[in-house]
Amino acid sequence: MKWLLAALLLAGLGLVALGLPFGGVQPERAPRFGGDLAVLPMTFAHESHFGMACARCHHEFAERLAGPSCMACHVTDPKVAPLLEAQFHELCRSCHVAEHVAGNPSGPTRRCIACHLDDHAF
Amino acid sequence: MTRPVAAGLAGAIAAVFAIGFLAEPLRGAGWFWETGNALGFLALAGILFQMIPMPRGGPVRRHEVLGYWILATALAHAFWFLAGDGTVRFYLLPGAPFYMWLGLAALLLLAVLSVLARMPDRRRVHQNYRGFRKTHRWLGQAVVVTAALHVVLSGFYLPRWWQAALLVALAVLCMAGRRLWARLPPPGAASPASYLAAGALAGAAFVLIRNLAP
Repeated sequence: MKWLLAALLLAGLGLVALGLPFGGVQPERAPRFGGDLAVLPMTFAHESHFGMACARCHHEFAERLAGPSCMACHVTDPKVAPLLEAQFHELCRSCHVAEHVAGNPSGPTRRCIACHLDDHAF
Repeated sequence: MTRPVAAGLAGAIAAVFAIGFLAEPLRGAGWFWETGNALGFLALAGILFQMIPMPRGGPVRRHEVLGYWILATALAHAFWFLAGDGTVRFYLLPGAPFYMWLGLAALLLLAVLSVLARMPDRRRVHQNYRGFRKTHRWLGQAVVVTAALHVVLSGFYLPRWWQAALLVALAVLCMAGRRLWARLPPPGAASPASYLAAGALAGAAFVLIRNLAP
């Protein structure tokens, strides 16, 4: 049994270090959105969020800030860049989970790959 | 399998799954995610059941065989996510959340516990049975603590603090309630068939109920 467990441990390490050997292109951490911070790709469709108040995500509208896209700021500003993952997970998930719990169409709530795909438009 | 054994195992599995349903039972993430986590909850329930003290001279072989099935379930939980979602691996690389390191620690400790309990390696490592039991129990407690914290801190299926407290209380009861268990009929050791049957039932309910929403 110990050899089987050792083989599984090696297989697990391989999957973690190298990613899946099948299933097409896999997400990778890389500098994106005009910053040096290595981040996963993200997908977002404005058209599936019609009906939501814009300022719920676009805080710059409420704060009357003009400038680049939200992601450009969130990956380059040293104050907020370290919080990128936590802030965006909270922003997206809290709303998706609340909708799911209420029995409404919600979009992804937890599955990582459902959001971390490169749509070249976000 | 005697009735107390079946009731004890089914009770452990039902309790672990039921705690998650006490608040926001429709909180879900799709059949893929729920299936993987049903495997994880089943493994945790199995570990908790295994922690219930057995009377001396109990069915040790059944405890051992059930332990292998629990280890297999925990491994299936890990590989399900690693092989089915190409992004999950980033939560096991530097910078990953603490609860993921705890989950990995629980799995490794469970593997070590299982290997060290298997003959003839057990005799090579432990000079006497008393020493083995002490180490085995200590490792089991470490598995329970790390696995329970993995579930509690990941937070998705236990959104309320009192749900986390209930799970912790259940874990403490299984680990430390020797006086209580001594008064009850001994749960003994259940068969893998009953573990898989009860787990399949609870897992199916877990996946279906949490995906009732569109």
